[in-house]
Amino acid sequence: MNMFNRSTLAIAIRALRRNRLQTSLTIVGMTIGVAAVLAMIAIGTGAEAAIEDQIRAAGMNLIVVTAGNYKVKATDDFGGGAVEPSAALRSTDPPYLNRGDRDDRRERHFIFSAISAGSAVRRLTSFLSPTLHAHPEDDPMEKHDHPTARQRLGDSEAGLGSAATLTSTDAEAIRGVRGVQYVAEGLHQNVHVKAGDRRWFTRLHGTDMRLPLIRRAWTFRSGRFFSAGEQLKAEQVMVLGSVVAQRVFGDENPVGRDVAIWNQSFRVVGVVTTTSWMVAPAPGDDQFDAVYIPFSTVHRLLNLAKLNDITITAASTGEVSRIMGDVTKLLRVRHQIGDDKPDDFTVTTQARQALAKGGMRPDVARAVVGNVAGLEKVTLEQLGKTLDRATRTMTALLAGIAAVSLLVGGIGIMNIMLLSVTERTREIGIRRAVGARARDVRAQFVAEAVALSVTGGVAGVLAGLVAAEGLSRYLHWSTTISPSAVFLAVGVAAAVGIFFGWYPAKQAAGLDPIQSLRYE
Amino acid sequence: MTTATALIAVRDVTKTYAMEGAPVHALRGVTLDIHAGEFVAVVGPSGSGKSTFMHILGCLDRPTAGRYLLDGRDVSALSDDELSAIRNRRIGFVFQGFNLLARTSALENVELPLLYAHDHRVSPAARRQRAMKALTAVGLENRAEHHPNQLSGGQQQRVAIARALLNDPAILLADEPTGNLDSRTSIEVMDIFQRLKEERGITIILITHEPQVAEYGSRIIRFKDGRVVADQPNASRRAAAEELAAVALGSAEET
Repeated sequence: MNMFNRSTLAIAIRALRRNRLQTSLTIVGMTIGVAAVLAMIAIGTGAEAAIEDQIRAAGMNLIVVTAGNYKVKATDDFGGGAVEPSAALRSTDPPYLNRGDRDDRRERHFIFSAISAGSAVRRLTSFLSPTLHAHPEDDPMEKHDHPTARQRLGDSEAGLGSAATLTSTDAEAIRGVRGVQYVAEGLHQNVHVKAGDRRWFTRLHGTDMRLPLIRRAWTFRSGRFFSAGEQLKAEQVMVLGSVVAQRVFGDENPVGRDVAIWNQSFRVVGVVTTTSWMVAPAPGDDQFDAVYIPFSTVHRLLNLAKLNDITITAASTGEVSRIMGDVTKLLRVRHQIGDDKPDDFTVTTQARQALAKGGMRPDVARAVVGNVAGLEKVTLEQLGKTLDRATRTMTALLAGIAAVSLLVGGIGIMNIMLLSVTERTREIGIRRAVGARARDVRAQFVAEAVALSVTGGVAGVLAGLVAAEGLSRYLHWSTTISPSAVFLAVGVAAAVGIFFGWYPAKQAAGLDPIQSLRYE
Repeated sequence: MTTATALIAVRDVTKTYAMEGAPVHALRGVTLDIHAGEFVAVVGPSGSGKSTFMHILGCLDRPTAGRYLLDGRDVSALSDDELSAIRNRRIGFVFQGFNLLARTSALENVELPLLYAHDHRVSPAARRQRAMKALTAVGLENRAEHHPNQLSGGQQQRVAIARALLNDPAILLADEPTGNLDSRTSIEVMDIFQRLKEERGITIILITHEPQVAEYGSRIIRFKDGRVVADQPNASRRAAAEELAAVALGSAEET
C-alpha cells in the first residue's frame, strides 16, 4: 500500500503551494479549531489542578499526630470559629473506632463532654472533677506500660513540656501505612539564634529532610534543605527561614556561615522562603521566622528520643480519613493501649483551620464549620470530589464547544477540497493522461487534506500553548497542558483531514480523464 | 501489412456514447494497423470521430466493441490501473491547449510522468536530471524554472513535448498540437516531430483538421462520420527542417 508514499506527499504539497491564499486560510481555520480545543482543555484541567492544589494547600491532605491527648479540655468550641482540632475529632464517632469496643467509662466521658459544651462553669467543673482526668499526662499516678511512656522521665529533663508518647520509630512505622505520601518528624522549641553579635529569638523546628516536600510553595532563596546523610549523622546543619536570615545576616548570604544555638555551632546550608504571594514571610510566623535542623540532631544534642508531633501527607485527599484511622490503630497497637483506654496521642487534619483561614467563601466556611462536628472528615472530601467532578464537567463542556470549532475547521477543509476538485479538474485530467491511476489522484487529495489539517493542527498546538500561557500569565488563570492533550489535538486534526478529505478525493478520483481534459 | 508486426492494430472498433437517450455513434467500425516508426496524420472534420479514435489509441477510453492490440496485446479490456500504466510507459500526449499545470515550473511539469512511474521508482534528484535532459532536448534548458504563463505558446508546447517524451514512450499522440500556434512555431513543432520519428523511431500519430499540417505526416488517414474514408502514404510530404532553413535564409536575405 503506497497510498502515502513520499512522492504523493510531495505532489500534494506542491499542489497546495500553488494556491497559497486558499491553503493558508484553510490552515487558519484548522489552527483556530485545534488551538481552541487545546486552550479549553488547558483551562479545564488547569482549573482541576488549581482546585486540587487549593485543597492540598489548605492542608486537606495533611494529617498531624501530636503527642498527648487534650480532648477533655476542649469540648465546647463549636460556636467559636477558631476550633481546637482535636475537639471536633473526638466528639463524633470516628469511623476507625469500633463502637462495640468502647467501654462505659469512655462513653460517659463523651456524654459529659457533650453536655458541658459551651458552659464555662461546667467546663471548670469537669476540669476539677477527678473522675474526668482522662488524660494520662494529667494523672501522675497513672501507669503506662508502653515503651514510649517509660521514656518520660528522660524527656522531662529536656523540659520540652509536652507528652512523651511519640518516637521516631512511630514515625518510621507510619511511613509504612498504605496511602501515606510523606512523613516528617517534628520537635519544636523556642531558641536564641546567635551569629556574631546578632541575636534573634525564634522558633526551632527539628524535622525530617522531607519537610520541603510537605510544605507547599516553599522555595530556597539560596542553598538547600539538609540532606539524608546529614540527618543520618545528626550533623549540626541549619536551614534558616527568610525572616531569620534577614534579621541575623541582613542582606548577606548566610549559606556557609555558622550560627549558634544552645552554645552549639551550626552551619547554615540554606535559606527558605515562599513562592506564594498570599502569605508573605513575617516576623512571628511559624514557617519563615524559624530555623530548621534535623530532628536527629535535636535528639543527639538534647539526649531525647521523643517527638512533639509527626506530620503526614496523604497521597490522595480522598484517603485522609482512612489513613487517620490506620495511623490511630497502628499507634494504639504500638503504644499497647488497651481497648478501654483513650489514645495517648491526637490525630488531626488541618482542614478545619484551613476552612476558617480562607480559600473558601466565608459563608460557606461558616456553614460548614458551624453546623456539624467532624464535617471535615467527610464533607470536605466530598466537597473536594464534587468540585473535581464539577471541573471535569466544565472541561468536557469547554472541550465540546471547542470541538465544534474543530468540526467547522473540518468542514472548511472539505469545502476547500471540493472547490479545489472542481477548479483543478483539468489538472486531474492531465495527471491521468500522463499515467496517474485513480487511486493516485485520490491519495493526492487525501494527502492534501491531511497536510492542511496537520499543518493547521501543529500551528494550532503552538497557538494553543501560547494562548494558555497568555491566559495564565496575564489573566492568572490556571492552565495545564499535558502531552496527551497535544497528541490528542494533532491526532484529531489528522483524523478530521482524512474524514473530510475522503469525499472530495473520491470525487476527484472518479472523474473521467477525457472529460476532465476537455474541462475549461 | 501484417498484424503480427504492427505496433497498433485496430480491429472493427466501434464507440457509442449514450447521450440523453439517443446513442451517438462516434466510431462505426474502424480497422487499421500502424507500424512502429510511422508518422501518421489523422484528418477529418469535427465530429468525424478522430478525437474519439485518439482517446482509444491513447488508452484514455475503451472501445464499445472491437479489439485494440497494442504491441500485440489486447488493451480493450484492461483495468483502469493497467491503462494508466500503459499511458505512463508507452504513450506520450501533446494537446492543443498544451495542458501544462499552471503555477508550476516547466521542470516540474516535465517531471510529472515520473511521479506516476510506479514500476520503477526514481529518486527526486534523478527525476530532476531526466526532466532537465528532456527540456534541453527541446531547447528550453534555460526556461526550466519558468511557469507556463511566462512562456510563449511555442515554448509551452515544447515543454509539453518534453513531458510526453520523458518516459521514452513508443507512441506520441498529438491532438491538434498546432491549433493554438502561429505558422512559424507550428513548423518548429512539426520539425521536432519529424526529427523524433527519424532520429528516435518514435511512432507519431497527429490529429489535425488542417490539411497543410497533415502534409508533414508520412501517411494520412481521413475520418468521416466515424469511419476511415481514406488511408494512404503521403506523396507530397513537407519537410519542416527545410522550410525552417528557407525561412531563416529568407529573413537573412531581407536584412
